[in-house]
Amino acid sequence: MKAEDFNTKTEITWCPGCPNFGILQSTKEVLASLITEGKIKAKDIALVSGIGCHAKIYDYINANSFYGLHGRVLPVCLGIKAANPELTVVGFGGDGDTFAEGVAHFVHSCRYNVNMTMVVHNNQVFALTTGQTTPTSEKGFSGASTPLGVKTEPLNPVALALISGASFVARGYALEINHLKKIFKEAIEHKGFSFLEILQPCITYHNPIPYFQKNIQKLDENYNFADWELALKTVREWDYSFEKDKKVPIGLFYKKERPVFEETWPQLKKPWYTLKREIDWHKISQEFK
Amino acid sequence: MEKVILVGGEAGQGIAVTSHFIAKTFSNLGYFIFNYRDYPSLIKGGHNFNVVRISDKPVFSHKEEYDLILALDQKTIDLHQKKLKKEGFVLAGKNLKAKKIHSLDIEKILNKLKAPQIAGNNILIGWLLKYYGIKKEFIFSTIKKEFKGKEELVQKTVEEGYNLAKEKEKLKKIGKPKYVLTGNEAIGLGALAAGMDIYIAYPMTPATNVLHFLAKKQLENNILVLQLDDEISVANAALGASFAGARVMVGTSGGGFALMTEALSLAGMSELPLVIYLSQRTAPATGVPTYTGQSDLKFALSAGHGEFTRIVVAPGDAAETIVRTQEAFYLSAKYRLPSIILGDKHLGESDFSFEELKKSSLDNERFILKNPPKNYKSYQITANGISPRAVPGQNVISRATSYEHDEYGLTTEDPKEIVRMVEKRLKKIKFIEKEVNKLNPATIYGQGQNLLISWGSTKGAILDALPSLKNFRFLQISYLNPFPQEKILKEIKKSKKVFLVENSATGLLADVIAEKTGRIIKDKILKYDARPFSSQDIIKNIKNL
Repeated sequence: MKAEDFNTKTEITWCPGCPNFGILQSTKEVLASLITEGKIKAKDIALVSGIGCHAKIYDYINANSFYGLHGRVLPVCLGIKAANPELTVVGFGGDGDTFAEGVAHFVHSCRYNVNMTMVVHNNQVFALTTGQTTPTSEKGFSGASTPLGVKTEPLNPVALALISGASFVARGYALEINHLKKIFKEAIEHKGFSFLEILQPCITYHNPIPYFQKNIQKLDENYNFADWELALKTVREWDYSFEKDKKVPIGLFYKKERPVFEETWPQLKKPWYTLKREIDWHKISQEFK
Repeated sequence: MEKVILVGGEAGQGIAVTSHFIAKTFSNLGYFIFNYRDYPSLIKGGHNFNVVRISDKPVFSHKEEYDLILALDQKTIDLHQKKLKKEGFVLAGKNLKAKKIHSLDIEKILNKLKAPQIAGNNILIGWLLKYYGIKKEFIFSTIKKEFKGKEELVQKTVEEGYNLAKEKEKLKKIGKPKYVLTGNEAIGLGALAAGMDIYIAYPMTPATNVLHFLAKKQLENNILVLQLDDEISVANAALGASFAGARVMVGTSGGGFALMTEALSLAGMSELPLVIYLSQRTAPATGVPTYTGQSDLKFALSAGHGEFTRIVVAPGDAAETIVRTQEAFYLSAKYRLPSIILGDKHLGESDFSFEELKKSSLDNERFILKNPPKNYKSYQITANGISPRAVPGQNVISRATSYEHDEYGLTTEDPKEIVRMVEKRLKKIKFIEKEVNKLNPATIYGQGQNLLISWGSTKGAILDALPSLKNFRFLQISYLNPFPQEKILKEIKKSKKVFLVENSATGLLADVIAEKTGRIIKDKILKYDARPFSSQDIIKNIKNL
């Protein structure tokens, strides 16, 4: 299986040079290599997207896919796993999608620990709707809806994931493809809820590329990802603002296996659709007599 | 033979259990029962009551004329004794006062037995059943069935009351035990009969009992029951599960359904099967949470943005609920669209009794291709608009999308492609109409030149009123969408006078009939005090008109 095998004929309509191209290529390569290694099956892939620039990825990958509603990626993913625990589910969301409209789902999904991967294309802006602020926009950001500048501090979604109980928390950078592919693959392979934030500068409405090029720093090889306190400290080193130069750490912050949602249900063993149900009407109706 | 018994007291005093015990004892002897439940939104205190109607003929509603009031507090007596029949009386503990009362020294007996306060109810029940001449052995066999693990205490306390009473009547076993169940239990039973795999909900009265019923039964029936974080999660997770091939139902009331409407529209666009149980309560907003109403009819018919079709089916009693629930699953899976089962608190939480419980003979087919073809298209354009369904895991690419799409499910904004897809989805409607016409979408009861038209839980009160009304027929509409307008128009045309009956303030069904048939119904019998109609309400209203 090769990355190209996932191509569709659909014309790609992201802005030329958009870092989303890198995320798309990484996704195809990671899925292809997991298939080649026999770790997942192509027929069992199920991708889910929200609404926004990120969601166009639905049309660009030839795999089972669900193009959902804005903010509602995570409950759809949970439902898919509840119906067929054998599927490899990857959700794609934007920062507005996941942390504005859908933030409650995000918190609960970290808690539930469904065995799936949630990838958030974080460009700190609503891009497709022409440049409004999102919960991760930095204080002072001036967009079409906030010409006076954003007055509030941004949300730190990676810290939120840790506090909410996510069992795999990582950050990648859309312009560091090889690093991204490595943690993306680990995220899918992790058994449990994997949250992967991808810093994805929007070259049209919110472009911090010079800042990132200067300040992005991969985690040290000796970094202990089993240490939750260290993870929380590390993810708070950068506060999503660009005023001063601060180290922007990328890599796997935290990973710890714990029981996954699907396995806690004794009756959830195989895909429901393969089950032929024989109804014993006499038995189920007799208790009312 | 007919007895109407009111059981009342504070929440937490065991009103529902006590009334159910009485109802089941009689139904086991072959009597028909109807048990109406009335309770405010609180956990302890307040005033709860049940009305148990017992008859040797089928009954489908409660009455507000009591033969006996079993009172556990003074408030019950103060509120209800004016509705006692001439020879009626109150049965209560020694500490309570009423105009006509039979008092028992409950405290003394409980002290003697060292039994808890709640067991005092059984002493009253024992007295009542002896008064009506029910043999002890029949009572004990009901106890065995209904109070597993607590039989000994219940039996002992019932016997104490029993021994204090004198037989006034001799009510005998008159037939085979009847089936007794609520509309909510019927939803659960219908879903099991339909081969449901997953039920997802967020607690909301009056739909919550379906969640409890199915949750308790999940392992023995091999189904999955999930409570998620809100109704938006519930509906979207249900669509995810449906995409992956599970047969799914969600349950809620008006407020929760409001949160589901965006996902309802998604079900319409993505053509994913989904069954929604919408149990109405008094609205708008929080309304009167534990009371009934039928004011969500037009909401159910039009919820969700955009043009897409749906099934809206409204059963009138618990037996019908089983069959309609199966139909909702069947139509939803076959035509790839959302089905809404529209009930209400009165249907959901009242006990109904039946000679037999039947399920529909409809097949539990999943309508998923066994071997989807290589070049599979999730939204293939076909003669009847139904695209054959495949699911992830089947070696083809399955897609579901909220965006307008081509046959493969890939996004499109091309005007010609859009028209093709809109028309494909709408094409299904005439085939659904044909199929629903075979499912008895509207039913006529009785004979007469005048017509009562209604839908949903008013069925019981109207059926019970019908024998007392001269020259009246009753048209019960079970399918609100697709709407059986031809049959309705025919019945309206045949009638001298037409009356609408609805548990609402404006008579929403009249608007629907006007829209679909052009006929305006001016005479409306409406009730919007959050309580259901009794048959006497219907009779009184017609006489006043």
